[in-house]
Amino acid sequence: MRVLALDAQRGLALCAADGDGGSDGAHATVEVALVAPVAPGDALLVHAGVALARLQAAP
Amino acid sequence: MRFVDEFRDAELGRAVATEILAAVEPGRHYKLMEVCGGHTHSIYKYGVDDLLPRNVELVHGPGCPVCVIPMGRVDDGIAIAREPGVIFTCFGDMMRVPGSEGSLLEAKAAGADVRMVYSPLDALRIAKANPEREVVFFAIGFETTAPSTALTLKRAHAEGVRNFSCMCNHVTIVPPLRALLDSPDLRLDGFIGPGHVSTVVGARPFQFIPADYGKPVVIAGFEPLDILHAIRMLLAQLAEGRCAVENQYTRVVPWEGNLRALEAMAEVFELRPHFEWRGLGFISQSGLRLSDAYADLDAERRFAVPGVRVADPKACQCGEVLKGVIKPWECKVFGTACTPERPIGTCMVSSEGACAAYYNFGRFQREREAV
Repeated sequence: MRVLALDAQRGLALCAADGDGGSDGAHATVEVALVAPVAPGDALLVHAGVALARLQAAP
Repeated sequence: MRFVDEFRDAELGRAVATEILAAVEPGRHYKLMEVCGGHTHSIYKYGVDDLLPRNVELVHGPGCPVCVIPMGRVDDGIAIAREPGVIFTCFGDMMRVPGSEGSLLEAKAAGADVRMVYSPLDALRIAKANPEREVVFFAIGFETTAPSTALTLKRAHAEGVRNFSCMCNHVTIVPPLRALLDSPDLRLDGFIGPGHVSTVVGARPFQFIPADYGKPVVIAGFEPLDILHAIRMLLAQLAEGRCAVENQYTRVVPWEGNLRALEAMAEVFELRPHFEWRGLGFISQSGLRLSDAYADLDAERRFAVPGVRVADPKACQCGEVLKGVIKPWECKVFGTACTPERPIGTCMVSSEGACAAYYNFGRFQREREAV
């Protein structure tokens, strides 16, 4: 999912889901405590409402 | 879409498949186990299997979190769900897993307040919105899902949410792999390592596989090119006589895992001495329960549960499927008495289950021709 906006105080991010062929329009509030700090535009691996990793481009 | 499209490129896929074909030794049969049910689903969704030489066999491992839940635990959950005033929450596919007298979905139809959630945090929100009700979350999953439960319990503890509790069925991935490797039934040449579990635990916990058993492991992502690339990497290790843990999924998996997630899990959970796995029996130190510091949020201490062990249905061969001993279509009830609409076994329930993957993508028998 891609970060759209942050609520740093509560450790939450509003994220957009990416489906097959692009964004499918779904949005979700995601707990980002395990990968903070994050910034708008970051791509996150989200599982059960919690971000587990920030995707890294290949070196 | 970045991080996705480039891993579904058909031309690149065919190029890696050609490399795989060149890497196999004629006359040698390779058995590679993909540990994670997410890999099984992708392999059949994208037809990865069809791109492989016939002598490269993929064996499906025990990494589907729904598939390994034994019937007795479902019965325990239903017993709590039937308690007056309880709102019982769980993930959607868990609702359809059969217990000895039906599923949570059937308990809901009979009047229990069972609700599907996408996250334990949703269950906590339900608890806060219903302070007069007891809200229970039925937690399942490997180390991928356990951090989400841990953060939820930490939040409930910190906020003093007294009407929330968790029935913990979380399991860990290493003990069943060791049990499989010790099994005389199974001869494997290597492992496609679980990508999302490794996001949390890192690559280090899998080093016992090459060190103690002499088998290579390649941690892989879930797109078709990820899986093909991991197979290519495994075959390269086998051809060179090496065995090591390698990481194909570097865009997500750090070698050390997610230390904050591991810290949260260590605070909230502790290992059970034994935990029963569907089809695999009791495995020592393979399941998690809430630590004493979180005992007040433990549903098994708050409610009386039967705790009775229930044998799997005789017709169902999920155990052999989970151990990779048989293919789903070799089970006597596959696609007849057992279908995704009316599953007998757990492997037919979840989309990550091997039986559901075979059924949904039309693999009713061995159809591949020799390459």
